[in-house]
Formats: sequence, structure tokens, C-alpha cells
Amino acid sequence: MFGEEELVKIHKDRAVLLSYIITAAFGLVLSRLWYLQVYKGEILHNYSIQNRLRKEVVWAPRGLIYSRDDQLLVDNIPRFDAILTPQFLLDKDETLSKLANIMSMDVQAINNILKKNSNQAKYRPIIVKKNISFEELAQIETQNADLPGISVDTFISREYRDKEIGAHLLGYISEISQVQLPKLRERDKLDYRLGDFIGQFGIEEQLDKYLRGENGHEFVEVDARGRRKRYINTDNLFKGIEDEKPLSGMNVKLTIDRDMQIAAFNALEGKVGGVIAIDIDSGEVLTMISRPSFDPSQFSRGLTPEYWRGLVGNKEHPLRDRNIQEHFSPGSTFKAITGIAAFEEGEIDENTEVNCGGSFRLGRKVYHCWKKEGHGPTTLVKAIRESCNVYFQKAANRMDIDSISKYARAFGMGARTGISLPREVAGLIPTKEWKKKRYGQEWQPGETLSCAIGQSYVLASTIQMATAYAAIANGGKIYRPYVVKDIYDTQGELVKTFTPELLSKIDMKNPKTLKFVREGLFQVVNNPKGTAFYRRGQGILMAGKTGTSQVKSASADKVYAKCENMDYESRHHGLFVGFAPYDNPKIAAAVIVEHGCHGSSAATPVAEAVITQYMKKYHPGMYLQNLEKDKSIRDNWVKSLKPQVKPAADE
Amino acid sequence: MNQTLVQFFKRYDFSFLGSMTAIFLVGVLNLYSATHSQTHEGLNLLWKSQIIWFFISITVAVCISFLNPKTFERFSYVAYILTLFLIFLVLLMGKVGMGAQRWLVIGPFRMQPSEFMKMGLVLAMARYFTKVNPERQLGFKELILPGIITLVPTIMVIVQPDLGTGMLLLFIFCMMIFYKRLRWKTIATLGVIGIFSGVLMYNFGLKEYQRKRIHTFIDPYEDAKGSGYNAIQSEIAIGSGRLFGKGFKNSSQASLNYLPENHTDFVFAIFNEEHGFFGSVFLIIIYIVFFMRLIWLASSVQRFYDSVLVIGVMSIFFWHTFINMAMVSGLLPIVGIPLPLMSYGGSSMLTFGVGVGIATSISNSRNFFN
Repeated sequence: MFGEEELVKIHKDRAVLLSYIITAAFGLVLSRLWYLQVYKGEILHNYSIQNRLRKEVVWAPRGLIYSRDDQLLVDNIPRFDAILTPQFLLDKDETLSKLANIMSMDVQAINNILKKNSNQAKYRPIIVKKNISFEELAQIETQNADLPGISVDTFISREYRDKEIGAHLLGYISEISQVQLPKLRERDKLDYRLGDFIGQFGIEEQLDKYLRGENGHEFVEVDARGRRKRYINTDNLFKGIEDEKPLSGMNVKLTIDRDMQIAAFNALEGKVGGVIAIDIDSGEVLTMISRPSFDPSQFSRGLTPEYWRGLVGNKEHPLRDRNIQEHFSPGSTFKAITGIAAFEEGEIDENTEVNCGGSFRLGRKVYHCWKKEGHGPTTLVKAIRESCNVYFQKAANRMDIDSISKYARAFGMGARTGISLPREVAGLIPTKEWKKKRYGQEWQPGETLSCAIGQSYVLASTIQMATAYAAIANGGKIYRPYVVKDIYDTQGELVKTFTPELLSKIDMKNPKTLKFVREGLFQVVNNPKGTAFYRRGQGILMAGKTGTSQVKSASADKVYAKCENMDYESRHHGLFVGFAPYDNPKIAAAVIVEHGCHGSSAATPVAEAVITQYMKKYHPGMYLQNLEKDKSIRDNWVKSLKPQVKPAADE
Repeated sequence: MNQTLVQFFKRYDFSFLGSMTAIFLVGVLNLYSATHSQTHEGLNLLWKSQIIWFFISITVAVCISFLNPKTFERFSYVAYILTLFLIFLVLLMGKVGMGAQRWLVIGPFRMQPSEFMKMGLVLAMARYFTKVNPERQLGFKELILPGIITLVPTIMVIVQPDLGTGMLLLFIFCMMIFYKRLRWKTIATLGVIGIFSGVLMYNFGLKEYQRKRIHTFIDPYEDAKGSGYNAIQSEIAIGSGRLFGKGFKNSSQASLNYLPENHTDFVFAIFNEEHGFFGSVFLIIIYIVFFMRLIWLASSVQRFYDSVLVIGVMSIFFWHTFINMAMVSGLLPIVGIPLPLMSYGGSSMLTFGVGVGIATSISNSRNFFN
């Protein structure tokens, strides 16, 4: 055995070897430093003083968005910024005054911009003016030699061709904020940077991963005056320097029709509300408009504080989408569902007559019909046509809320439709169990009566109502509404295509149910006694239902108060949901006009405008035939006018 | 009384604490210079917290220096197991820092157990080699158990994922078995096998996309396309220093603002830019003196455990220094290894403080206990 000290001693030669190895290792490092600092020193020094070599991001062009008829909706357009790099300024005052002259700016204003950015590194360019005109661009480029430190930066701006039209659907892109950065990195597992652009709303958000493409980079050499040129690796100084071209985003084709969008937008002029129209045999969304709106182009360049304040300060909330991100009481438009429920459950048939005396008493509470003197003996068709509350309340009184809810849910209400857009609301269809859970209270029979006419707890969005009425029109088929038809890559190859998705087919026990509900809906618009007769339009043969959604529950003395006399905030929302043409349904539409008072006067014309545009464009033959049919309806009405007919007022 | 104090100061070995302080001083000035113009909130104050960490670390070093080296021997395995457990904890509930689970958060403190693992490994190895046939040369058979002791933490650290520290553990292991008289035949065989399988694996065993995938697995946040770019900026910075450098606080931020880690992994580049080739020669000489002093100590102690332990401590310092300098100057690929006592970082500073404390204690034990 060795003693401890011997042990150390026999390892001494290895210790000596280690000291050689270490010396050699640092010799290697030093020779490398010699190579860099002495042999290559001059060249590298030159690179460093002006930071001549830069890696710059080359933004990927974002995918374009087209309408169903191949009209361009969202485009990328190059914009130019005038930028100033303090490092390269020779004679600051002279350059600034020249620049101010070109851009008709105040020298002081430019100085202020510089002052604001004075704490950043001198080689960092500062944006002096965004979005300069071609004239300014040309002047800067031609006077380049006299403007050291001034250059022009190209920027691809996202432009929404129709500005405010369809903004909520298309959405917008904007820079990733400090707050969002970690969340988005976590969500997408991508290394986003501050200042990267990302879809933040609507289609831009939903399809971001298709639209965005992949940024590239290029290496740029900067000369002593701040002019840039592509770096060409001639002296082979650096390894691994390679430009990378950006990968364009994919193009998207929507189910949306641009002309209908415009028609809908115009029809909603001066109103606050939304309209949505879907193809009843596929669920394709043809139109989706919400007003007031905003210009999404503003977001892609960084909002000006004034524009942002304008949006946020607006009482009507232009950023809110009225079609899928908001729900409301569907009011009388819900009566079609109550009618279907009662019919299917066998509580009524087409001949059941209910006497409407203007009100209905349950327990101690009196439920009023909108018509004070009552509708008299009323059948289902008449009840729908004239929107009789008492009829549906009496029918509902024979069922319970769960039966009504069962049908409402079957027609797609009370749950998200699953349209592929962010932040859809679910609406609400109450059940006894729901109330117990939510409020810990038993269901009151009186509540059933309110729910039967679409008030109380019942909430729905226009997309849900349109889907439900599409199902009434197509025989009970619920399609998932969708807005994206195809996705193409930049070569025009189809990457992904979306097809109609049949969610369910409602099994109707009674073949007559839908027939008579449809008949009622037809008479609403096309019978002189119908609530929407005077807004029926021409050539569309629309069927549908008006409704009002109470914003505030009216006290007894105000039940019959004239809506227009109330203050704006308390006025009812006007609703219309319908489909067309009645005898060969193609399209369903739902409209809400906030504080519009009446479904007929406020909402129906919007649906009429959208559907008319649709019929003219897609079914011109049918449109002409319908004009004939309209004529006979009109003739019959004129004939019947002789015995005095009181025109139906709005409910 | 006074006599004893003078005796104490005469016998106490200040060389390691002195080297530590010297390198730290260079380091903190450099750190200040690198970050003083940073507009980033907090980044320009890093040098202050670096000073605090230095005082903590040197206090730890002084405390450890008063321990009897036999204490280290006694607690070697305990320390190993403890650090291993901490690594395990990090894997279990590590907080994502730098895209990798390397941090353990205890109250206000964030620890990087993989830093302490190095010391744990060195202690365990020293203990093992002292107890098991200390006089025998090492062959393959003798490497099995120490190999396992090393590989377990290595794999755990690599999984974190922290390839840099994982490799470092292996390198430390290699240097220690070299000192523990690994047979030349075995060294040759291992070398040939290592190079051969490595090259073969990389070139033929892996497809291009797999190589890429491994790369992104190791460091998902690294910009794969631009990974050469940091290295380039670093080389520009170094080269631009030329012979004499641009002077203190004159690093043209230009090139270095692009370096995301210019206060940690790339401090050496800044140092070179500001002080040039001669500055680097000076700095490297301090490091070499420090290492030589440790090797000399290893050969002049009375107990074999102390000798192996000192070599282990030296290995930790050496590999950090060499790999960092080599990667910053473009000799090795960029992995996140800090430069001892120069780079910003509390955990790493503490590790080096512990190392200096151990070395001082061992050195003192020759003068005090005999």
C-alpha cells in the first residue's frame, strides 16, 4: 500500500501534463485572438465603427383575402416612411431644414421627434414621417446626396379595400404588445418578437397561421452615409451569412359576397346593429356586417391616439361585433320556435283557435298582448302573422319550459354554432335545471310565458337565429355556419377546402309543423295583415318574423307607450329574421338594429336589401319570376282594400 | 495575542482569494462598461448586484476556508446526492427561464442547481477515487462506477435542456480521470472511439432535419437561421479591438447591442473590444496563474483526497474559462457557458466562491494542522 503522500507524488507527472494542456489551450485561444485582432483587425474594426453589417428582417407578405366571387378584400400595399439615422447626420440643421422643406413639416416638429428618441443608440433609425407620398419619396431619393442620414424605409401595409365594410369579419393585424408576447409564445410555441404583426381579430386572427407566412432576413451593408446595400460575402470573412427569402402567406377565399356586404353596409347606414345572411343549404355565411364599424387598415400601421380614442370613446362600441360576439333577447322572432314546439308536442294543430282578448292572466299577473284590444280568435298562422303574444303564451302554458328549450336547442340556439371566428357567444336557452343551478330557485310558470315570446332569460345571436330559420326553411337541417371556403398557397394550389358540415337533422314528428310555421312566416311579409307587409321588397318573396327586444322591462303603464317617445337608451331593439324565396328557399338572414324600436321598420329593410342583392346576383331568373308573384299578391291586396282594412301596425 | 494574529496572517493562504478578487475587479469594471449605456430597465444596474454577489461569494469562500478539508471528504456523497436532488426538483417543477427549466425558485431566490452540480460531482469523484484503489491506474473496468456517477447528473442536466452544462460535467470528469492516471491505452481508445462515433453519427446516423431538430431541442429559443450571427457580431467586436482596444467604456455598442447575452456569455468579447489583444493577454495570464497555482497545490498536499479535489475544482474553473473564450472567439459553437468571475450571474459566482474556499482551506491545512 502507498502512503497518502506517495499517492500524491505518483500523480505528479499527470499534474505537470495538465499544466501543459492548459497552457496549450490558452495558447490556442490567444492565437485565435491574434488572428482576429491583428490579422483581421483592420477589416473588423471598419465593420464595427459603423456597424456596417446588419441583419434585417424581410417581412413575409401576408396572404390575401378574397370574397366568394374572387374580389380582393384585403391587400398588401407598399408604403414608405422617411427615416433618419442620427449616426450619419453631418450637418444636422441643414439636413433637417431640407427635409422639412420636402415634407412640408416644421423643423421644430422633426426636432421634437428626434428628442423623443434621443436616448436610443445613434445607429438606430428614427421614423420622421410615416406614409410619405410618392412625391416626397421621389424628392428624398433624388436629393439623396444632399441628405446624409435620411433614407426611405419600405413597409408593406395591410389594406382593407372596403375600409369599414366587414371590418369585424375580416379583423385586423397589429403589433404584438409586451403583455401579449409571453401568452402568444406559449400558445403558438413560436419565437415571436416585440413588434411582430399578428392577426388580432376576425379572420386575420383565426387564420393567422395560414396568412402570416414566414419572415426572411437579409444581410445589409451600410456605408458611411447610411445608405444600404445587400451584403456580398466577397472576402469570405464570415461563415454562415446567408440571406433567406421570406415565405408568403397563403391566400384565403371567403364564403362572403362583396356586393352583398356593400348592400348590407349601406342598409345599416345610420343604424347601430348587425346583419348576417347564410346559404341555407350549406351554412356558408354570405354577409356579415356590423355597424358602427372601424377601418382595420389603421391598426396595421400603429393606431394614432386620436383614432383609438375615437373608437374606445364611442358609446356605440364600434369594435364590438353585433353578429357573433353579442347576444340579445330574440323577442317575437322566437315565436316560430315556440310554435314548432307546441305543434310537435301535440298541444296545438293548424286549426287550434285561441281567443286573444288583449291579455292573459296567470295567477296574479297579467300578460299583455302588444295589441291592446286583442286579436280575437287566432290560429297558428294568424298568430305568427300578427305576432300575437297571447296565442303563444297560452300554448306555452300547456307545455313546460324544458319542452320549449328542447326545440330551441335542436334548432341550434343556446350553444355556440362553432363558426370559425374568435370569441363567439353562446346565447342562452333556459331550463329548470339551469335556473336551479344559476339562481338556486325553482322555475316559475310565469317565466315560461315570457320565454315563449323570446323575452326573459332567452338570449340569442343573429348567427344563431339565422341558423335556426335556415333550418325551418330547409326542413330541419342544421349546418355549421362557416366563412372560409378555400385556402390557397402562393402558387395557387389548393391547400385546404372547407365543405358544408351538417350538424344535425331535426326529426319532425309531424310533417305539418314546418308547413304551417312557414305559412305563418310567409304571411308576416306577404299578407296585408302581416307585421312586415309594407317592407316586403320586390322579387324576393321573403318569409320571416319581426321582433322587438326589450332593453328595459316596461312598467305596466308604459306597455303601450310609443317607443319613439322614449329616450334613446330605453328604446327596444328591432329584429328581423327570415328566409327567401318562400317557395324555394336559398338564403336566411337575421338582423338586429339596436334601439330601432320596431322589427318591421328598422330591421326588415336591411334583410330585404341584402336578400334582393343576393337574388339579383345569384338567381336572376327566380328574381324575375318572383316579381310576377309579387304582382299578384299586390293585386289581391288592392282588390281586398275596398272593405276597409286597418293596416297592421308594428307589434 | 498579537503574535498569534500575525502568525495567522502569515500562514493563511491569500493567493486564491486574491486571484478571485483580481479577476472579479476586472470583471465588474467590464460588466459596468458593457451595460452602462443600456436603456433596458435594470440591465444598467447589473454591476451593482454583481458586487453584492461577489461579497456573498467571498464571504462563503472565507467561511469555507476555515473548514477542515476532512469535512469535505465526509460530506462528499451527501453534497452529491443533495445537488442531484435539486436537479431532479428543477426537472419536476422548474420554472421556465431562458426557455429552459434551469431555475429553482425558493422565495425571492432563483437558484440554478446545475451550477452546484459541478461541485457536487467533483466532491463525489474525489471521494470515490480516494477510497477505491487510489494507487491503481484506471482502465475501462475502473471507469464504470465513476462513469455512472457522472452520467446520471449529466443526462438530467441535458434533459433540462442545458447541453452546455451537461458537456461541462463530462469534461470535468475527463480531466479528473486523466489526473487519476487513466491508462494511455485507454485514453487513446476512448479518443478514437469518441471521435469516430461522433463523426459517424453526425454525418450518417442523422438526417438533416434530425440534426436541426436536435438543435432546436437543445435550445428552442435560439434563432436557428441566425445562430451564426451572434458569433459574427462577437468576432467583429473582438477583432475591432485590435492590439490595444478602444478603451474603457468605448465598446462601440453598435456591434454588441445585437448580442443578447452581452452581460453574461459575451463579456469576453466586450473586454477584447475595449482592451485589445494586450488586454486579453493580461487577463489570460491572471487565469493561467490561478490554474497553475491550483495544480501546484494539488501536487504539494499531504492527502490524496485533497489533491484530487483541487484538480476537480481547477477543472471547473478551467473548462468554463476555456470554453467561454473559445466560443466567443469563434473556435467553438455558441453554448451558454459563463466566464468565471467575469460574467454576470449569482449562482455561478457562488460556485466559484465555494471552489476558492475549498482551495484555500486545503492550502491552509498544510500550514495550520501540521
